[in-house]
Amino acid sequence: MDIRKKLIDIKNVTFEYFRRDAEGNVQDMVEALKDVSLEVEEGQFIAILGRNGSGKSTLAKHINALLFPSEGEVIIDGMSTEEEENHLLIRQTAGMVFQNPDNQIVGNLVEEDVAFGPENLGVPTADIWNRVDAALNETGMEKLRNQSPNHLSGGQKQRVAIAGVLAMHPKCIIFDEATAMLDPQGRKNMITVAKRLQEENGITVILITHHMDEVLAADQVFVMKDGHVVAQGAPELIFTQKTLLEECGLCLPVFYQYMEQMHQDGILTDRMCSRIHTEQDLLACLKEVYTQERTGDSAGKDETIDKAFLDYPTDGVGKSKEGLLLNHVSYIYNKGYADERKALDDVSLHIGKGEFVAVIGHTGSGKSTLMQHLNGLYLPTEGNVYYDGQDITDADFSMKELRQKVGLVFQYPEYQLFAETVEKDVCFGPENMDISRVEAQKRAYEAIEAVGLPDTIYDSSPLQLSGGQKRRVAMAGILAMQPEYLVLDEPTAGLDPYSAKAILQMLKDLQQKQGIGIVLVSHSMEEVAEYADRIIVMDQGRKCMDGPVWAVYNQLYRLEKLGLSVPVGNRILVTLRQMGYSVNTQINRMEDIFAELARWKSLMGKQV
Amino acid sequence: MMKDMTIGQFYNTDSVIHRLDPRVKVIFTLIYVMSLFFSRNPVLYVAAFAVLVFYIKLSKVPISFIMKGLKALGMIILFTVVINLFTVQGAKTLVEWHFIRITDAGLKSAIYLGLRLCFMIIGSSMMTYTTTPNALTDGLEKMLGWMKKIHVPVHEFAMIMAIALRFVPILVDELDKIMKAQMARGVDFKEGNLMARLKKLVPIIIPLFVSAVRRSNELALAMDARCYHGGEGRTKMKPLQYKRNDRIAYVFVMIYLVMMIAIAIHF
Repeated sequence: MDIRKKLIDIKNVTFEYFRRDAEGNVQDMVEALKDVSLEVEEGQFIAILGRNGSGKSTLAKHINALLFPSEGEVIIDGMSTEEEENHLLIRQTAGMVFQNPDNQIVGNLVEEDVAFGPENLGVPTADIWNRVDAALNETGMEKLRNQSPNHLSGGQKQRVAIAGVLAMHPKCIIFDEATAMLDPQGRKNMITVAKRLQEENGITVILITHHMDEVLAADQVFVMKDGHVVAQGAPELIFTQKTLLEECGLCLPVFYQYMEQMHQDGILTDRMCSRIHTEQDLLACLKEVYTQERTGDSAGKDETIDKAFLDYPTDGVGKSKEGLLLNHVSYIYNKGYADERKALDDVSLHIGKGEFVAVIGHTGSGKSTLMQHLNGLYLPTEGNVYYDGQDITDADFSMKELRQKVGLVFQYPEYQLFAETVEKDVCFGPENMDISRVEAQKRAYEAIEAVGLPDTIYDSSPLQLSGGQKRRVAMAGILAMQPEYLVLDEPTAGLDPYSAKAILQMLKDLQQKQGIGIVLVSHSMEEVAEYADRIIVMDQGRKCMDGPVWAVYNQLYRLEKLGLSVPVGNRILVTLRQMGYSVNTQINRMEDIFAELARWKSLMGKQV
Repeated sequence: MMKDMTIGQFYNTDSVIHRLDPRVKVIFTLIYVMSLFFSRNPVLYVAAFAVLVFYIKLSKVPISFIMKGLKALGMIILFTVVINLFTVQGAKTLVEWHFIRITDAGLKSAIYLGLRLCFMIIGSSMMTYTTTPNALTDGLEKMLGWMKKIHVPVHEFAMIMAIALRFVPILVDELDKIMKAQMARGVDFKEGNLMARLKKLVPIIIPLFVSAVRRSNELALAMDARCYHGGEGRTKMKPLQYKRNDRIAYVFVMIYLVMMIAIAIHF
């Protein structure tokens, strides 16, 4: 039996820092970590979970000797971070991949960036080349080695960052929310690479995240809240502590929630549940237990029925109809240049007042270009855009009014805040319209209330707020213009599940109570299933599906072909239908699917 | 407008010039620019032009790309030439109209100045077209290495330059995003007088500045995490070493220098 070595030993660490006001006076002292103890053995896959601001990143920076405890001790591979001469060795032993892909790449070429670490360590030239070759190979980036990092996708940049750490021959890699800014595909690839490094190269992995579906592969999970470690253990063990997780602002993986519900309904037994570790397991288990004799080929037939719902009429809509209408719109970037690229290709669609529409598709499928057509930031190369029946390129059309009526919230909108107080920033939009100052302020107050922020916030500096609050302020800045439509590019990106849910619920309220039309660009299929009524699927600049959420999600094969995933709930329903059960597949919200599963079970009970 | 700025960019292709050691190119560029000031003799300009054409041919950088770079500075060149034309006064008057007087000396001076400026701009931008920013930084760092002895932080300057070059495109992108976001909030950058327009820059400059500070903080942390501790004891993946071609190139540079001096003295 091999006795595993203790690689990381964190003993009763407390970390305090002073929070200062604008003049540099100490306001209060923040305890980011309180008496944290944690041990990691060599070769383990560890996950640290927690909300934004729970102290998990602060903890990570202690392992890498970037921060030092106020009290307690951190020992990495037998070296204490207290001794300054250990720092370089510790940083080499425990490498770190950060959240923002752009801000950790130093080199102007991929291979030169990977070499940065070894160069700092004074590795001889020939050996640097060997290390870089190996690291690029390991992360699958060798083909792009002579590219500029600026030409890579977020996921690729993060893999370059991993390669940069690998080239330093570390024993441990810390992923400090390294997946937070990636799309689902990029996230999945990252986790796969991390898992492989642990299994094949014996590298200890410490994954810091707020996505619980990423920790399924972990040996050991630590849950943090307000600077404390509140729970630790194997993922299965952590998942059973549902109330504690909710208190920590975390959210169980969706398939797990379904499994629990189906367990309660008596659809799944204890024994079955203990074998289910992934979404695939759950579906396979259902198939195994509930397959009936008379399974027909009803699957194909049903999909054709659903297809009837899919092509939303646009040509028939008539240009005079109110709402936003795109009529055969194409958009070409850099027309006439060598790098000409068609971003939108003959897209027609209509968005009515008060709708909640989600736009999904891969990075680069044309979603962002599409949303910027809705408020005239881009004008179509071909085709027309109509607002309430009027062509927005008409000479007498007021672009200013369009920008006001169609509010656009970009990704990470908090980066556009600029004023010294929240109030002034939110007033900026209305003040650009021709209304009085008092009216502008009134609208700002209403908007701040609508996004669920307290009125004590008016005079705070936007820079001092938490991430979730900043985002709300940025949204209030758009809402204060009193738009009829709100177009949002991934409004939940980088937020923890709790904050993300709150933002989405706020959008739903705006739609239902104020009748504001919502266009939500999203990568999260689950989030779309829960909140949207209609989905537009984009692929390579074309609109390839447009219909009610359930109808789109019943197209398992078509979506899979596009590389998009279908939420577990709809997969369960479709699987049951394919097995010949008559379940209602025209639903998509978790609550409705829970009810339908319960109904199905009770009917089956009667049959037997 | 940003798209038309080719000056200072790297033109990615493979040529004899691209493969030369950056130090050779830096030295040639210095000598070339200096040689333009040796004398005001037409023969010298013809020679400088011929060498430049030969240099461009070898580098495989298309003429259209070079002209685009020159055009971006067209206004400045034109302005300088026109000023010269009117202010340098000689004996023989060619044109006279009200207070404007163009003389033979003015014309001559303007033509030479125009040519000199064009040659200088093209000559020095050839260096950036054919050398990656990193190679250029490396080259300068090595050439100025002796200054470390008098406590000039050469390595640090080189690192700052390399990082700036990496982040310029990122910040340009960010600027574009911020501008669009503020346009979505009703700002019209084309509206109003100069003061009003300047005021509209505030909601753009501040977020950009905040972002740059945030990025530099994160980058500093990431560099620390990757064991960066200054130039001391640092090795290089691509150390600069002179090869055969570089030595040959130096011989050509010397021949050019001697030739230009000879022209300046004899004619």
